[in-house]
Amino acid sequence: MNMFSIGSFVRRPEFGAILSLIAVIAFYVIFGGVNLTTMFGAASWVNFAANLGIVALPVGLLMIAGELDISIGAMIPAGSMTIAIISGYYELPIIVGIVASLSIGVLVGLINGIISVKTTVPSLIITLGTLVAVQGFVLGASVLITGNASVALDSPQWAKTIFGQLIGGNYQVIIIWWFALTIIFAFVVHKMKYGNWIYAIGGDKISARNAGIPTNKMIITLFVLSSTSASFVGMCGAILFNSAQVSGGMNYIFNTIVAIVVGGVLLTGGFGSIIGIFIGALTFAIVNQGIYFTDIDRNWSSLIIGVMLLAAVLMNNSFRHMALTMMTKKKK
Amino acid sequence: MDTKNITHTSAVSSDTQNTSTALGKLIRRPEAGSLLGLLAVFVFFALAAGEIFLMPAGYSSWLNIAAEIGIIALPVGLLMIAGELDISVGAIIPASSLTVAIISGHYGAPEYIGIAAGLGVGLLIGFINGVLVNRTGVPSLIITIATMFGVMGLTLGITVWLVGSTGVAIVPSETTTYLLGQFIGGMFQITIFWWIAFVVAIFYLLHISPYGNWIYALGGDRISARNAGIPTAGLTTSLFMLSGFCSAFVGVSQVLVYQSAQVLGGQAFIFNSIMCVVIGGVLLTGGAGSVIGIVLGTITFAMVNQGIYFTDIDPNMGSIIIGALLLIAVMANDKFRQLALSYSNKKKK
Repeated sequence: MNMFSIGSFVRRPEFGAILSLIAVIAFYVIFGGVNLTTMFGAASWVNFAANLGIVALPVGLLMIAGELDISIGAMIPAGSMTIAIISGYYELPIIVGIVASLSIGVLVGLINGIISVKTTVPSLIITLGTLVAVQGFVLGASVLITGNASVALDSPQWAKTIFGQLIGGNYQVIIIWWFALTIIFAFVVHKMKYGNWIYAIGGDKISARNAGIPTNKMIITLFVLSSTSASFVGMCGAILFNSAQVSGGMNYIFNTIVAIVVGGVLLTGGFGSIIGIFIGALTFAIVNQGIYFTDIDRNWSSLIIGVMLLAAVLMNNSFRHMALTMMTKKKK
Repeated sequence: MDTKNITHTSAVSSDTQNTSTALGKLIRRPEAGSLLGLLAVFVFFALAAGEIFLMPAGYSSWLNIAAEIGIIALPVGLLMIAGELDISVGAIIPASSLTVAIISGHYGAPEYIGIAAGLGVGLLIGFINGVLVNRTGVPSLIITIATMFGVMGLTLGITVWLVGSTGVAIVPSETTTYLLGQFIGGMFQITIFWWIAFVVAIFYLLHISPYGNWIYALGGDRISARNAGIPTAGLTTSLFMLSGFCSAFVGVSQVLVYQSAQVLGGQAFIFNSIMCVVIGGVLLTGGAGSVIGIVLGTITFAMVNQGIYFTDIDPNMGSIIIGALLLIAVMANDKFRQLALSYSNKKKK
């Protein structure tokens, strides 16, 4: 019984994620001489984690379903530029900008999703195409319309309160959105039928469809969710900083993939959990931002991320293997 | 439409009978599509940009870009045909540039040592990629993202630690400039000729030597390939080492052309090389593609990227064209393959 419960815990996707988190913190304490109270009290890494985490949740679900979305790298600036041009440059009500910004996400998500289900082209290539196209469109349109690559935005108080305030002077309100979205996603994925559908699609798409799961609808929905979350993050950034940033989205592409994989999701689909993705984003943020609180030169942070990613995938692999062999032994 | 299908299926069947020559492969479908795309782009820019695009200055602008991406796109394409991806190329370029600049520029060691070390760095990272992919079974996308981050961190950390800044200057000698960094006629980079050499070598490798069939077999079905006696692990590692070497070569030639190495830079090559390869008709899932296709894809990409500056169109719009081209290329290939498959299925019945 005891063995079994350990086995089932080890088999859970977030187990590796928790180990990575502990390992990173331990590494910083032992080799970086980090003061844990200072680091955990700081807002920088929580803000970073929230922005990354909101995008990582739906992209992680896509990965569980066996797809990838790298167009998010263009959707973040697209979301922020859209609201800045509409509500900042043309001075239309902020609500129009918010709706437009999210609609752009829905639109690109639909394009990604529909091409993905209608053709057999891998989603990496499809979203690479939309990534480049949206990037050019956003840059070109903003230069064409405003004559500038950055646009100022003045948002009313209520919009600031909901999307762009700094709680306690440091904590972005997007952190609350991140927590809320994680809970909603966790409920939908782990308590409702849709979650099982996603796992089934990632496990074997043909069988899933034969079992009566509307695979095409699910995949399109997931693509819409991921690009809309990305434009949401961009929009919140524009409201918070009172201006739209055209660049900066590209880093999200690899950062989200790393966060998700460290969170225990299998790139080939069918395996992973929401809480794992949450912890993965947290771990990534601690490595990336926590290094400022250590004695380690911050230039090494990429090296730590690379090593951590490698260690995480290897660990997840061997744990999964171990757990599976343990199961089969028991059956005999 | 019917005749198209017939010629296509006959090309495929002659292929499977192993009677196809290099020429037979030339007229196969993926290249035909990329050639059409290239012609369309060329005519468009010749009309939109006017005479300057057709003069040496116009040619040199996109050839210089095409040469650098092309040298990397070739092995990345081979890897993709074999069913693998290599993201780490984006980190190898600055790593090898800085190796040359630090060894020969900062410490003043002879240049051949710096260049050998720079190329060695690429081979080593490729070797690590290959071994990790073979040993772990983790998708190469993830493995090479990990090595990319790792190499980026090492490059940054070691450079700052040794030199104290993120950029290193080097004054190359005349011989090395002549071989790797000169501008022929003041505008054509010598890299273009290196690119041609790489194209010839890799064309031989993929389409004439027996290794070529091994690579296709690897991308088609890895397990069967191994059962057929192909040393899949060794082949995969060699391909990763080739892409590491070619990326390092571009890094080395960049440092000799621009006479300084920067820690950042190279990131753009990751997606650009993948796009060139896919526009050239290579299947991301492996098993199909050709060297000529990759070259055509690279030229198309570079022409759009640079030709846009000769027109009145906003340069950012070039990205939209590239994105659209990419989607059209993959969807056209997809459609054609489906047509061909359903046609040959019908024939069997």
